[in-house]
Amino acid sequence: MSSRTSSPDFPPLYAERPEWSDVVPIPQNDEDANPIAPIFYTPEYKDATDYFRGIVKTGEKSKRVLELTESIIRLNPAHYSAWQYRYQTLLSTSSSLSDELTLMDTYATEFLKTYQVWHHRRLLLTLLHQPPSSPSPSSPTPTTTTSPTHTPTTTPPLPLQAELTFITSALRTDAKNYHTWAYRQWVLSHFSRPELWSGEISFVESMLDEDVRNNSAWHHRFFVVFASGVREGDEDREEVRRRELAYTKEKIALAPNNGSAWNYLRGILTHTHTPFATQADFVLPYTLPYPSPSQTEPLDKDVDVKMTDEDKDTDKDEKNSSPENTVVDLENPRPEAGADLPSPLAIEFMADIYEERGGKEDVLSAVELWKSLRDEHDTIRKNYWEFRINDALHPSR
Amino acid sequence: MTCRTDSFPTATSKEQARVEEILLQHRPPNDQPKPHLQRPEHLNYLLRNLRQGFPERFISQDCSQTWLVYWTLHSFSLLGVALDPETKQRAIDTIMACQHPDGGFGGGPGQAPHVLPTYAAISALASVGRAGPGGGWDQIDRLKLYKFFLSLKQRDGSFLVAHHSEVDVRGTYCLLCVAALLNLITPELIKGTAEFIASLQTYEGGFASASQPYFSPDGSGEEEEEVLLKEPRPALGEAHGGYTFCALASWVMLHPLLPLLSSSGTSSEQQPTINTRNLVRWLVQMQGSEAELGGFRGRTNKLVDACYSWWVGGAFNLLRPLGVGTRSATSVPTTSPPTTTPPKGEGKEEEDAWTDDDESLFNRAGLQEYILYAAQHKAGGLRDKPPKIADSYHTLYSLAGLASAQHNVFQVDETKEKLRAAWKPKEGDDPALDEFHKTVFAEARAWTEEVGGSNYVNGKVDRVNATHPIFNLTITHVRLIMNHFYAQE
Ligand SMILES: [Zn+2]
Repeated sequence: MSSRTSSPDFPPLYAERPEWSDVVPIPQNDEDANPIAPIFYTPEYKDATDYFRGIVKTGEKSKRVLELTESIIRLNPAHYSAWQYRYQTLLSTSSSLSDELTLMDTYATEFLKTYQVWHHRRLLLTLLHQPPSSPSPSSPTPTTTTSPTHTPTTTPPLPLQAELTFITSALRTDAKNYHTWAYRQWVLSHFSRPELWSGEISFVESMLDEDVRNNSAWHHRFFVVFASGVREGDEDREEVRRRELAYTKEKIALAPNNGSAWNYLRGILTHTHTPFATQADFVLPYTLPYPSPSQTEPLDKDVDVKMTDEDKDTDKDEKNSSPENTVVDLENPRPEAGADLPSPLAIEFMADIYEERGGKEDVLSAVELWKSLRDEHDTIRKNYWEFRINDALHPSR
Repeated sequence: MTCRTDSFPTATSKEQARVEEILLQHRPPNDQPKPHLQRPEHLNYLLRNLRQGFPERFISQDCSQTWLVYWTLHSFSLLGVALDPETKQRAIDTIMACQHPDGGFGGGPGQAPHVLPTYAAISALASVGRAGPGGGWDQIDRLKLYKFFLSLKQRDGSFLVAHHSEVDVRGTYCLLCVAALLNLITPELIKGTAEFIASLQTYEGGFASASQPYFSPDGSGEEEEEVLLKEPRPALGEAHGGYTFCALASWVMLHPLLPLLSSSGTSSEQQPTINTRNLVRWLVQMQGSEAELGGFRGRTNKLVDACYSWWVGGAFNLLRPLGVGTRSATSVPTTSPPTTTPPKGEGKEEEDAWTDDDESLFNRAGLQEYILYAAQHKAGGLRDKPPKIADSYHTLYSLAGLASAQHNVFQVDETKEKLRAAWKPKEGDDPALDEFHKTVFAEARAWTEEVGGSNYVNGKVDRVNATHPIFNLTITHVRLIMNHFYAQE
């Protein structure tokens, strides 16, 4: 155990502070208790939590409780009781919620992985921006799930845009943090303001440019584009569908074994009730052993492979400047050179297309593809492919 | 097959390649003996945690004390080890010290009540508690617990995990488990909850942690009566193994009750549905390739991790009630009735060799290999992945995952009927409510380990006990505690 007296940086224990002498600390366990699987606490933690139990017992909610709960949270950010009590104390003492939010900025960076940090922000933001401004006519009416009675009096609320900026910076440190993404989605859907939604697509694209395999970013895209209702500027759903299909297929071409992009493609089609078969031309080249030659790619496979590394970057630059020169079929981009083909995800997709078509021949084609997954391309899932084969051949389950 | 980077490396594929390299070093060469379950080391690890406790750095787990106890106790049960009466009593007392005067359990003594540590506390009491004075079971304040649960209910059918805390499907699952075990499920408690669960399913097929409800005034009266919109109701967060397990287990608990809810007039809406096909696809896609030794990941494009052996691997046993899976429960004659399922000894009915009629949807051999080869720490305990250290959480969920990869556990229709026939109604109970309780009881108790349906990748020497697919307790422990609280048998 650390000897706290050796470090001059520590504030004195609550037990040593005269201004806390009126509080009766309560130890966690009775004296005669013999708990199983006990945790050995540091003197600081034991001291702070003993005083916290003392405070909870008397029900005191004062400014000094904010200091005490902060001490505990710094030692253990998962201490939900301290967070809960802190929130109640903030309300009781009419403390500045904006100041609290500023304090939370540092917490969120330090304790990114704890639920409580993000939920506390959510409570604060809810109060700071209550009642939510009236949403645009096309968007649904958001409501709060709790109805606290506190009215912020001191500072005007920060623009919510700043909140998104803050979340973006947190995601730069931890690009797949579940709580951070869920929180961003809450900010968007709870307040549902057009100016908040409007930047999201380009935000997602910057995240996917960073890492096209970031599934959290793909999910966010679906959340923004399809799952949260129709917003101004996006009423032309046919155009939205076309845009999303083009974007996704371009990303699949970059990395044909990226499950996130394939799942998104499936998501678009299912959500818009578009048959998978509409994508047959696109999917086919990805089910073949190597990129099939197109007009702009060398026919000789060996040459193609050799050129891959050196030419990749220039290739991309060219594409950016004049796409019509390098992409034959904008609707159906081909796999990039260097892709690991065939992609099992493409084979699976193709089999789904055949199964969807439903003719006798089609089902047999699907079965052939599933067999190739079972026996060669995706053997870990052999039982599942077997299940799909049986299911398609004997659909009377 | 190794990582398919498509010559387009990103942060995700680089991490993936790094982990695959480490995992491949843990695959035993063909000419060498295969690692077995290190029982003595794991038992030592668990005993050390129980008796000596945890060092300072576990302060981060201070609000998970009931969890530490549950993880450890159920790990013992899975390894087939019963504790001595004195240790059991200490465990009961440790848990009961966490009960809050206002109902529910906190993560430790003096902590606020919270649904997650309440689940862990009740589960631990199911493992080691008993009826009577000092046994824990009869000292649970069920009435206050029920009121605590009701106070967390939101108007979209979801639950907060604690006052002023978040909505999270782990909380729904934990609350439903506790309410089912302790006979606290009522129509009032679960109204709208199945709809909430259904709203969590994402386009990928798995489930998210929460969803955003929207309400609109219904315009019928002067009161600000608002109506929950069916759409949009977007999932907050992506499909995730832990949340998917919690959602699916909740769904399996709630589904048989839905007809009872609508007939009693508490729900007029049409019944919610989930997309089973997408769910199955997502679940199987979570299994890592041979290069990842067949372990499970928790999200698309994330790394494999032993705890998903349970959260995802364990979810497959929950698919049969949804009509997925080729084996029908009624067509299996070799099933023993639940009341005669003792903790299994060294029975001769199962062979050591891998049987080829494995009809499960995932690769059970692969999952066992990941756990045996990569998740075991030499010094005892199990872990996320090498070279990490072991912890109580990963120890339990690896062992539970191993159990679900070894055994088939499913609801037997015949057993369900027997339980219903033998049901003794509580005196003075309203018939509709009685039917409700009977259904909860029979559904939960009908889960049975299939005799002869077990498979061990490297022989029966690695056998762990089967675990209840919903509660993650032994089937015997579920039977005992439910019989007590439903006053049956
Ligand atoms: Zn884990």
